[in-house]
Amino acid sequence: MGEILQYLLSGLSLGGIYALVALGFYIMWAVSNAANFTHGDIYMLGAILAVVFVAMGMPLVVATLAAMAVCAIVGALIERILVRPFNKEPNAIGWMLTTIAAGIVIESGATVTYGPLGRPLDSPLAHTPIRAGGAGIYPQELILPLVAIALMIGLELFYKRTILGRAMRAVAFNRVAAGLMGIDVNKIALIAYALAAAIGALAGILIAPVIQAVPTMGALIGLKAFGVAIVAGISNARGVVIVGICYGVIEKFIEGYISTGARNAVGFTLMILVLLAFPQGIFGRKEIAKV
Amino acid sequence: MTPRRQFLAILFAGIAFIVVFRMIEPSNYQIGLLMRCMILMIVTIGLNILIGHAGLVSLGQAALYGLGAYVAAWLAVKGDVSFMPAVIAGIVVTALFGAALAYPTVRVKGVYLAVITIAFGLVFQNILVEWISVTGGSQGLTGIPRGEAFGVRLTRRIYYWVVAVCLVIAFILQYNIIYSRYGRAMRATAQSENASRALGINIGWIRTLAFVLSAMLAGLAGGLYTFLNLFVNYETFTFFHSITFLLMVILGGTGTLFGPVLGTSILTYIAEVLQDLKEWQIFAYGMLLAIIMFVMPKGIVGSVAALTQRFTAKPRARATESWPSRDVPLDTLLGARTKSTDSALKADKLTIQFGGLTAVDQVMLDVKPGTVHALIGPNGAGKSSVLNLISGFYSPTSGAVTFQGESIAGTPSHLLARKGIARTFQNTELFGQMSVLDNVLVAFHCQYQSQLIGTVLRLPRFTREEKMYLDRARQLLAFVGLSDYADELASNLPFGHQRRLEIARALALQPKLLLLDEPAAGLTHAEIEDLKTLIRMLTEYGVTVILVEHHVEMVMTVSDHVTVLDYGKVIASGPASTVQKNPQVIEAYFGTGGILAKPAATTGQPA
Repeated sequence: MGEILQYLLSGLSLGGIYALVALGFYIMWAVSNAANFTHGDIYMLGAILAVVFVAMGMPLVVATLAAMAVCAIVGALIERILVRPFNKEPNAIGWMLTTIAAGIVIESGATVTYGPLGRPLDSPLAHTPIRAGGAGIYPQELILPLVAIALMIGLELFYKRTILGRAMRAVAFNRVAAGLMGIDVNKIALIAYALAAAIGALAGILIAPVIQAVPTMGALIGLKAFGVAIVAGISNARGVVIVGICYGVIEKFIEGYISTGARNAVGFTLMILVLLAFPQGIFGRKEIAKV
Repeated sequence: MTPRRQFLAILFAGIAFIVVFRMIEPSNYQIGLLMRCMILMIVTIGLNILIGHAGLVSLGQAALYGLGAYVAAWLAVKGDVSFMPAVIAGIVVTALFGAALAYPTVRVKGVYLAVITIAFGLVFQNILVEWISVTGGSQGLTGIPRGEAFGVRLTRRIYYWVVAVCLVIAFILQYNIIYSRYGRAMRATAQSENASRALGINIGWIRTLAFVLSAMLAGLAGGLYTFLNLFVNYETFTFFHSITFLLMVILGGTGTLFGPVLGTSILTYIAEVLQDLKEWQIFAYGMLLAIIMFVMPKGIVGSVAALTQRFTAKPRARATESWPSRDVPLDTLLGARTKSTDSALKADKLTIQFGGLTAVDQVMLDVKPGTVHALIGPNGAGKSSVLNLISGFYSPTSGAVTFQGESIAGTPSHLLARKGIARTFQNTELFGQMSVLDNVLVAFHCQYQSQLIGTVLRLPRFTREEKMYLDRARQLLAFVGLSDYADELASNLPFGHQRRLEIARALALQPKLLLLDEPAAGLTHAEIEDLKTLIRMLTEYGVTVILVEHHVEMVMTVSDHVTVLDYGKVIASGPASTVQKNPQVIEAYFGTGGILAKPAATTGQPA
């Protein structure tokens, strides 16, 4: 019983990370029909910057905000320099290559400057674990799924209630028509990438007190999160968050009942099988090819 | 230089290099380096088919390479299997994995393949390290016996020739695939999915084929690597190596024949020089990839080719012939057909809803063979939606469509194209980066009898068919007056010519039913007259035409039957002369004349 509870709780925490990072992929995909393969590295960059800023003497909250702001700027730059010029034709693949290249540069750059070893980020919520029914978990870990759900609700309200959110939806729906309505499509894309990067960075910062910030922490998470977004159908925030949290829980159970080594193999195989059954993703709608 | 000459030049220069290199008695180190380089070239040649032609990216090519290597190694060590069967088993296993990875993903979006292949690469690493009983864990598999083939022990000196022969085969395979209907179909799907579907190409299948081919070459290279190195270990097949493969192809020039060979040579050499950089090496590769994307996205070979073209190409005036030309044998081009009196196409209560909106509402159509049936109506009346339903781009919510007595509602568009339903698009959908001639040639894809094996081996039937369809394509270009533009890129054509090309391409399908979506839009008055002649000519040869058009004068003179749609419903149907006088039609077009005229339709669907 305690085991099951433990897997469930740590699964929720891990799932919260996937959900948050996958939300970023969804936001970017919606406005540009492209994604930023550095997104996992942005998640890492957020954590590392927070550690560095705290070490420079900033209080945790200020360091968090500063790291998010820096990552938002990086996200916007990536959109402007690496995605937009390479995503002009339908079916363009240039943006994929440029962002992968940038991801490699960010990760190896971080390894060279920050060092390959993990450093802790001190947080009052990661000192004493809560114990219940034979399971133990830091309050810090439980924040992740809650933040993911809160952001999902916030994002839905933002899309429905604000001018900027509506503009983003308009761009997602029809880029050309949105442009004709006077929406600055390029600016919207820039903002969306910055927003996605800030959320990704936040995910990294929130988990850093539990796992330590290290340059290699991002690549795999980013990849799995993109997988999560695809399996969810990249068409609404709710689907992405649900699939993300579920995937985290499933991974922990695989880890517990089969082995740590089997986690990724079984997880990715599951993803491929789901895509076979639902080519458009679980919550995705079939896009009608307008011709 | 024609592609064929280029191919032969590179092939013979390459063979000469391999032979001469061997004769100058190189050191063991040099010979080993060249062998490794040749093995990597086999991988990058495969990757080039995928990236340069099918427009897909694989970031797990090193894992496929590793899979071939480990399968061969495992069989050789644990099963005592000899060189040839071990390598072949490696190729087969990699091909199967390739198919399993590609098929579920590429049906939806090509991008997904990139993600799945990275994932595969990471899982593969994971398994290599963890599944110690099979893979030997991080130690890898050692003690692989030197191969033997046809009773000859494959010493390093002999193995050189084995690798060289495999590379030559891979290079020939690349050429034979990309200059065949398969290669054309790959390029077509990369440029316009809609147009490819309308020409009968199964997109998921052709993309899977491209990936499986690239996986097989990676598997072959892996097997060769195993028997060269006699030791395999996970460190050779990491994500970093996948990126290196990608970089080799892009540096050399994607989609070019020589690019992957050149890129691989350069990067292998650089890697030898930069060996001690460690972490900075990865950083440098990332930067290099980004810089190439900015400075010369076409790679070295592509950029050089573009430059020479700029300096040597003499722009010349191209002659546009009048169209439709009467000098081409239309009966053979359009195929033999018997004129029957039954309906060519029937729609029964055809309905489609988008969300709460009914774009097409209980539409009845009865299209007689060999006639021109026009669909007209105000913007947003549902005309194009009807066309999309008939051609399989939309699936009806309810109702039936029968084509020559066969129910076709919900059949995917590429299958309908093969049954003889061809179409053009409102906003022309050409394969812009392909030549005018190739645009037409793609459309013959489904008529070839030669299968993959025959194509790769260039059997006589393939050569015969290729020549025949080339002939037909040229005749179709002559028919629409574009013979002189055959080698021009389709995107460079003026708009009116693009329309002509699109019609020629649709005719290549030998359609029984031709759907024209606003073919007159954007044409000059004279061109519209020619278009009318062409449509009438086609019906003389038994082609049935459904015409969606706003140009009323044209519709009234060319059509046998006119159906008028408004708000998704049929409001009138009959011969042109009677429909013209129908009060409901007049109201739909001009309003009632009162103040409360109907607001413009706001269906949100393209008209």
